[in-house]
Amino acid sequence: MASQNPLNKIIKTFSSIKTGVVLLILVVIFSAIGTFILQRPTTEADQIERTYSPATLHWLDMLGLTDVFHAWWFATLLGLVAVSIILVSVDRFPRAWKVLTRPYKVTDSHFRAVLPMQDKIPITDPDSALDIAQAAFRKSHLKPQRVGSGKETALFAERNRYSVLAVYIIHASLLLIFLGGIVDALYGYKGFINLVKGQTITEFELSNQKIHKLPFALRFDNGGRENYADGSPKKWWSDLTVLQDGNEVLKKEIVVNDPLVYKGVRFYQSSFGTSNQVDTLILQVTPKDHPGAPKEIVLQGMNPSPIDDDATVQIAKFIPDFVIEGGQVYSRSNDPNNPAIELKVVSKKAGVSGTWLFPADPQAPKIGETPYDFISKDGKLAPFTGLAISHEPGQYAVWGGILVMGIGLAMAFYCVHRRYWATIVTDPKHGQVLWIGTQADKNREHYGEEFTEIANQIRAELQLQSALTKEEKSLAHA
Amino acid sequence: MARATVEEHPQKSGYALLVAVTLGIVFLLFVAFLNTVKPAPGAPPAPFLTESNFLYVALILYAGASALYIGFGVTGLDRYVKAASVLTLLGFLANTLAAGHRWYVAGHPPFASIYEMLLSFVWTVAALTLIAERKFKVNVIGTVTMPLAVVGVVLMQLLPNEVRPLVPALQSTWLHIHVTLAMLAYAACALSFALAMMFLIQDNMKTETFQAATSALTSAVYVSILATRFSQWGGLNLIAWDYQNKEEVFIQRGVRLFVTIPDLGWIFAIVALAVLAPLVFYIWGRVAHDESKYLTASRGVFVSIALQVLALAFFILRARSGAYASAEADGTFQTSLAASPFILSGIVSGIFASLLYLMLVWRRSDLERLLPTADALDRITYKTIGIAFPLLTLMIAAGAYWANRTWGSYWSWDPKETWAAITWLVYAAYLHMRVTRGMRGRWAAYFAIGGFAVVMFTFFGVTYLLPGLHAYA
Repeated sequence: MASQNPLNKIIKTFSSIKTGVVLLILVVIFSAIGTFILQRPTTEADQIERTYSPATLHWLDMLGLTDVFHAWWFATLLGLVAVSIILVSVDRFPRAWKVLTRPYKVTDSHFRAVLPMQDKIPITDPDSALDIAQAAFRKSHLKPQRVGSGKETALFAERNRYSVLAVYIIHASLLLIFLGGIVDALYGYKGFINLVKGQTITEFELSNQKIHKLPFALRFDNGGRENYADGSPKKWWSDLTVLQDGNEVLKKEIVVNDPLVYKGVRFYQSSFGTSNQVDTLILQVTPKDHPGAPKEIVLQGMNPSPIDDDATVQIAKFIPDFVIEGGQVYSRSNDPNNPAIELKVVSKKAGVSGTWLFPADPQAPKIGETPYDFISKDGKLAPFTGLAISHEPGQYAVWGGILVMGIGLAMAFYCVHRRYWATIVTDPKHGQVLWIGTQADKNREHYGEEFTEIANQIRAELQLQSALTKEEKSLAHA
Repeated sequence: MARATVEEHPQKSGYALLVAVTLGIVFLLFVAFLNTVKPAPGAPPAPFLTESNFLYVALILYAGASALYIGFGVTGLDRYVKAASVLTLLGFLANTLAAGHRWYVAGHPPFASIYEMLLSFVWTVAALTLIAERKFKVNVIGTVTMPLAVVGVVLMQLLPNEVRPLVPALQSTWLHIHVTLAMLAYAACALSFALAMMFLIQDNMKTETFQAATSALTSAVYVSILATRFSQWGGLNLIAWDYQNKEEVFIQRGVRLFVTIPDLGWIFAIVALAVLAPLVFYIWGRVAHDESKYLTASRGVFVSIALQVLALAFFILRARSGAYASAEADGTFQTSLAASPFILSGIVSGIFASLLYLMLVWRRSDLERLLPTADALDRITYKTIGIAFPLLTLMIAAGAYWANRTWGSYWSWDPKETWAAITWLVYAAYLHMRVTRGMRGRWAAYFAIGGFAVVMFTFFGVTYLLPGLHAYA
C-alpha cells in the first residue's frame, strides 16, 4: 500500500514518534550551535571579525551559521517539527476520540483475560453481588453505572476521561505558540529610538535598517532617573504623549517593565541619558549701550526669546566639547564637559549678529560681536530616552498557547484516567464469580493498591452476606 | 551478605563517629558563638541573629550531615543515616532563616545575584532531600545532595554578598516567579539525576563501569582546564580579581585579564595523568578482555583522589594569596577563587565523584540493601521528571512574559533562553520515548543523567561561557 504512493510513505514517516524525536534532536543540535558561534544580529560586526579569521567567517556566513535562528533551513526544521506534531496527532487522535466518545463499558472475555489488574470473587447471589460492588465503588468516590441489559448486566465507572485529550491539547498549544511566532516573524517589527526631550516622531528605523512609519505621532515630554544611594539606577521614567492628527489622545509615564501600548505598538523604557542638546539656558544680558542694567533671560531649547522690544536671542549651535582652530569652533567629542554655545541675536535696528559663549573656559577668546554682552549663568542639557519599540501581533497566540499548555500539562501529569468494570461471569473452576477489573493510564502501582483494597472490601461484604444468608437458611430450617 | 556482616558484629555500633560529629558541631558552634558575642576591642557588638551567622550554622550542620552520610558509606550503619537526616533538617531550618533574613534586609526575594541564587538553590536542594527521604524513602539521597549543599555554601563565602539594590530591569514580580520556578525545576532535575544514578546501582551496573564514568568525568575536568589555561612555561592562567570592587579585571569591554600562577600547570598536568591512567586501564581491560586491569584501574582511582585533593589544596592556596604577573598588562594582579568558579567546581566535583565511587566499591551491598528496588527508582525518576517538566515549562513561560515586559520581545534566542529551550526539549524527548516507546531502565536513566548535564550547562555554563542578556546571574 505505502510503497504504491510516495506521499503516503512520507506521511507515514512523519507520523512516527521516532521521526519526531530525530527532528527534536536536530533542533537541539542547531540551537546549540547557534549559541556557540557568535550570531550577527546580537554581536557587533567588529567583534565577529576579531573572533574568526576571514576564511572561517566566509564559510560560517555561507552556511548561515552566523545567523542560525533566522536562517531559512532553521525555519524549515521548525516547520517540519510542526508538520510532525500535526501528523502524529492526526494519526493517533481517532483512538483517543473513540475512548472519549464511545467508552468501553461492557467487557468481553478476551479483554477480561488480558487486563493486568483484575480479581475474581466467588459469589452466591448474582444480583446482590453487583449491588455490593456498586456500593464499594461508591465508597471509593466513584460513580458506577449499570450497563448492559438482562443477564448481561454489568457495572462501569470512570474518572477523568478527558485526560486522554491532554496530549492533543499540549500539541495544539505548541502549534498555537508556533503560529504566534510565525505571525510575529512576518508581521511584527522591532526597533529602537533615542528621543530628546520635546521631540516628536512619526517614523523610526527598524532593527533591519528599514524605516517604519507609525500610524500616529509620539512625543517625549519629559523624563528622569532616580538613583539609589550608591549611585546605581533605581528608576528611569519618561512621559510620553501619543498624538493623532495633532490631538493628544494618550499620555503615560512609562518605566522599565511598564510600557506604553497604542494600536498594538509598544514603547519600552530601555535606556536613559543626557543628550547633547540644551534644555534650558539662563543668560545674563547687558546691552552694550546701557551698562548697569543686566537682565536675566531663560532660553528654552533652540527657541528664540525676546531681550527687549527690539531684539530676540536664540541658541544657534551647541557644541558639547569644543576646540578652536584658526578662529573657528570645532567639535572635539560628545562629552558635554567643555561646551560652546553660539547665540544668534536678531535686532530690528542692528540686524542679525552672533557670538560664542564658552561657559567652562574663561580663557577662551571672544568670537563674534553683538549689541549685547552675554554671560551664561546656568544651563541644563535635555534628557534623552531610549525607547525599544515593538509590534508583536502574534504574542496573544503565544500567551494563549502557554495557558493552554499549562492546562494540558496539568491534565497529562496529574489527571489519571481510571476505569473500573464489574460483571458476573461463569468461571470453569468456581462457577459464578464476580469479575472486577481496573485500568489507570498512569501511577498504576498506587491505583493497583487501591484496587486491591476495593476488591478486599467487596470480598468481605460478600462473605458476610453469604454467611448471613446461610444463617437465615439455617434459621428457616430450624 | 552485608546484612549478615552487620548482624555478626553487634559490637561495631559506630557511636564513635556520631559522638565525633556531634562534638565537632558543638565545638564549631561554640567558637562561632564566642566570635559573635565577644566583639573585637573597640568595635560595637555585632548583631547576633544575622544571615551570615545562620548560614554558618547551616554550613556546620550540612557538613555534619555529609560526614555522617559518608560515614554510612564507609561503615554501612543505618543509624548514621538517621542522625544525618536530623542534621539535614536542622541545617535546612538555619538555611531558611538565612534566606528569610536576607529577604527581609534586601526587601526582595533572594534571587538577584549569583550569591542569592546559590542561597536559594542550596535551600531547595535541602528541601527536596528531606522530601525524598520522608516521602519516597530514598534514605541515602543525602550522600549525593548534602556534599553538594556544602560546596554551594562554601562557594557562597567566596562570592560578593553585599545586598545590592535591584536595577530597574529586575524590579518585577515576574522575575521572582521566573527564578523561583527555575530553582524548583533545576532542583527537581538534580534529584532525578541522583535517582537515575541510584537506579544504575540497583540495576546491577558493573562497578567498573562507574569507575570508567568517574575517570572520564575527572579526566574531562583536568584535560579541559589544561587545554584552556596551561601556559607555556608550566604555569596556569587565571582571571585576575579586583578585591576592592569584588569583580573581575577587564582590559577592555568583554576581555578579561589573565594572570599566570607559575608551576601550578605542572601540578595539574601530573594530576591529569593520574586521573587519565585508570581510564586507560579500564579501556585496556575492555579491549583485552582482561579483568585484572579493572582492579588496577580501581586502585588508580584511589591514588588519584589523593592527588586531586593535592591539586585542590595548591589551587586554593595559590589562587587566594600572592600577586602574579600577566602577559597582557604591566604590574602584578591578584586572583581569587571567585574569579575561577569553573575550575574550582570542576576540581571539587571530581573529588566528590571519586569519593562516591570509593563508597560504591566499599559499600555497594549496603547501598543496595538501603535503596529502593530498581523498578521503584525507575518510577520515582520518571515522577520527578514529571514534576520538573511542567516547572520548566512554566519557568520558560514566566521568563518570556518578563522579557516581553522588559525588552519588548518574548523570545530573542539569547543563549540562556536557547539553552532553557534545549533543556525543555531533552526532557520532552524523554517523556515521549517513555510514554510512547516504553523506554524504561538503563536508557531512561541515561536520558535523565544527560538531561541534568544539560541543566548544569544552562545554569553555570551559559552564564560563564556564552555571552548574552542574562548578565545578572
